[in-house]
Amino acid sequence: MGLDIRIPLGLIFLITGGIMSAFGLYTRGNVALYERSLGINLNLAWGIVMFVFGLIMFVVGRRQRWQDDPVTPRPWEREGNDQRGH
Amino acid sequence: MDLTKAANLTGIDWLIMLVYFAFVLGIGFALKRYMRTSNDFFLAGRSIPAWVCGLAFISANLGAQEVIGMGASGAKYGIITSHFYWIGAVPAMCFVGIFMMPFYYGSKARSVPEYLRMRFDEKTRALNAFSFAIMTVFSSGISMYAMALLIQTLGLFHGIIPDAYIFHVSVLLSAVIVLGYIFLGGLTSAIYNEVLQFFLIVAGFAPLVWIGLRNVGGWQGIRQSLPATMTHSWRGMAHASTNSLGVEWVGLAMGLGFVLSFGYWCTDFLVIQRAMAADSEVSARRVPLIAAIPKMFFPFLVILPGLIAVTVTSRMSSVPSGEVTAATLAARDAVQPLTETESQDKHGREVLTLGNIAKPVPLDEAHPTGIIPLKYDPRTGKQVFNADGTPTYNYDLAIPVMLLHYFPTGILGLGLTALLASFMSGMAGNVTAFNTVWTYDIYQAYINKRGTDEHYLWMGRAATVGGVLLSVGAAYLATNFNNIMDALQLIFSLVNAPLFATFLLGMFWKRTTGHGAFAGLLAGTGAALLHHGLTLPADATPGIHGAWLHLVHTYPSDMAQNFWTAIFAFTVNLLVTIAVSLATQPRPDAELVGLVYSLTPKPVDTHLTWYQKPATLAVAVLVMLVVLNLVFA
Repeated sequence: MGLDIRIPLGLIFLITGGIMSAFGLYTRGNVALYERSLGINLNLAWGIVMFVFGLIMFVVGRRQRWQDDPVTPRPWEREGNDQRGH
Repeated sequence: MDLTKAANLTGIDWLIMLVYFAFVLGIGFALKRYMRTSNDFFLAGRSIPAWVCGLAFISANLGAQEVIGMGASGAKYGIITSHFYWIGAVPAMCFVGIFMMPFYYGSKARSVPEYLRMRFDEKTRALNAFSFAIMTVFSSGISMYAMALLIQTLGLFHGIIPDAYIFHVSVLLSAVIVLGYIFLGGLTSAIYNEVLQFFLIVAGFAPLVWIGLRNVGGWQGIRQSLPATMTHSWRGMAHASTNSLGVEWVGLAMGLGFVLSFGYWCTDFLVIQRAMAADSEVSARRVPLIAAIPKMFFPFLVILPGLIAVTVTSRMSSVPSGEVTAATLAARDAVQPLTETESQDKHGREVLTLGNIAKPVPLDEAHPTGIIPLKYDPRTGKQVFNADGTPTYNYDLAIPVMLLHYFPTGILGLGLTALLASFMSGMAGNVTAFNTVWTYDIYQAYINKRGTDEHYLWMGRAATVGGVLLSVGAAYLATNFNNIMDALQLIFSLVNAPLFATFLLGMFWKRTTGHGAFAGLLAGTGAALLHHGLTLPADATPGIHGAWLHLVHTYPSDMAQNFWTAIFAFTVNLLVTIAVSLATQPRPDAELVGLVYSLTPKPVDTHLTWYQKPATLAVAVLVMLVVLNLVFA
C-alpha cells in the first residue's frame, strides 16, 4: 500500500500528545484537578511522552520508503499466470 | 450509582476523542484509491510488513472481550486470569506461525474455509464458512452491545441526548464508523486502524497501571491486600475447589491451553486473515510470533487494573469512593493494617489469618470489592442481587471505574479513547473476516461463480454493510448474558473447539478424507451441544447456561463447563474423523502437495541468518513465557 502506517500513527500521537501537554501546561498549578492522579500532572508528563513517540514515528515513516508501493507487482502478479480464475 | 456524575467530561476530552475518530475515518479515505481489485480489498494486496500484521493480529482479538472481560476477571479471580494470555494463547500462536502458516499462506487460499475446500471438499468448506460467518456476526454484535452498554452506564452522552436513546445512538454511531472505514479501505483500513488502536490502548492504559500501582504500593501492596489465590497464577490448581477459577489443571491445560486456544489462534480466520495479508511467507510465519510478544505482556495492561481496582481502599484513595462500597471498605480497613499469615479453611481454600485475631475470614469476605460498583440492571435500573440475597458487583466496570478514579480531565479523554478503540478493533476484525468469507466462500462458491473481479469487490462492500446490520441485530440479542466473556467462550466452544482436530488431522495426516473431516466436524459440534445440554455450572439455572436437555453433571464454575465442553467436542471430532477417514477413499498424494505436512517441501529459510528465522523467534517467545509463569507462579 502506498501509505506508510507510521505517518498517521505519528500524526495522531503528535496531535493528541500536543493537546494533552498544552492542557497540562495550562493547568499545572491546579491542585484540585490533579488530586485524582495523586498530585501528578499526568496530562503534561504523559502528553510529552506521547508527543515524542509520535515525532519518532512520523520522522521514521517519512524517511523510510514503504517496502511495497503499488507500482511493483504483488506476489501473485510476479508469478505470472494465476489459474484460479478470479 | 454515582458514575454519571463522575464522568463529567470537558471539551478537552471530547477533542481527544474527536481527533481519534477523524483519524479512523481519514485512514479509510486515504486508502480508498488503492482499492482497485478484490485482492486489495480482502487481502490487503498481500503487501503488509510483518510487524504491522503482527500488531493487527493481536489487536483484532483485543476487543471488548479482552479489555472489559479480562479486567472483570482480574478483579474477580485475580492474576490467574493471565492464563488466558499465557497458556491460552502464546503456545498456539507459536504453533500456527511455525507449523501451520506455510499451508495457509503457501496454498494461496484466500480464506481458511477455502483452505478446507482445497484440502478436503466443498461440503467441509461450506460447513466451516457458514458456522464461521454466524460466529463473527455474534462476536461483533457482542462487542457493539458492550460498547453501547458502557457508554450508557458511564453516562458519556448524559445531558447531550435523552438517556433513553443513549444505548441506541451508541450502537448506531459505532456501526456507522466501523462500516465507514471498512467500506472505504477494506482489510488494509482495518489493519491500519488496528495498529493505531493497539498503540492507543497501550498509551491509554499504561499510565493507569502506573498510577494505580503507585497508589496501592506496587505489586507488593496488592499481594498484601488480596487473598493469595488472587496473586498467584498456579497456586491451588491441583483441584477445582482450591482456586478462584473453579477449574483443575487438567481442564485448564487441555481445555483452555490446548483445545480452545489452538482452536482459536490456529483456525480462526479473524486472526489468520491478518497473517495472510503479509508480504511474504516468511513474514506471514513471523506475524503470530511477533504478536505473541505484546500478547504475553498484556495482562499487565488489562488484568492488573482489575486487581488494582479491588485493592484500592478508602484509606489509599484520594477521592471519596461513594456510598456503594463504604461498608465493605470500612470492614476491610478495620483489619487492614495488621500483619497477615496464610492458612487454609476447611474447604482447603487459603484464607487470611489476621494478626492476633485468629479467625479465618471466608473467601468472599477476604475478597474485597474495592471501587467496583454494584450491579444494576441496564433496562430496569434496579439493583441486582445474588440468589442468596447478597448484592452483585458489576465487575465489567472494573477498568472504566479505574479510568474515572485516577484520570483527571484531559488524559481521561485518552483513556476513554483507548477503551472505545478496543471495541472498534474487535468489531472491525469480525466485519472484515465476515465480508471475505461471505464473498469468497459463500457468494462466489454457491451464488454467483462467474462474476467479474469488479463485481466481487462490489459484493465485498455490500457484505460489509450486511455484516454491520446483522451485528446490530446481534447486539440487541446479546442482552441475555451478564458476562461477555462467558458468552463468547460458549460460542467458541461450540464452533471452534471441534475445528482444531480437523485441521490437525488435515495438515499432518495425509490419510484424512473429506468425508471424515465433514463427519468429524458435525459430530464434534453435536458433542459440544449435547455436553452443554446435559451439564450445568454450580449456582446457575437450567436454560441458556446448560442442562436444557437433562441435568447429568454439575461443574464448579461456568469456565470449567466451557473447557470440558471443548475437550469433549475435540475428542469426538478426532475419533470420528479418524474412523470415517479409514473407511473412505483418500485423495492421491499428488493432489495434496502444499496442503499436507509430509508431502510439502519444508519452508526454505537458509537465506536468513539464525536470528531472523521464525523458529528462533518462537523459541525466544516460549522462554519468555516460561519466565513470566515462574515469576507469577
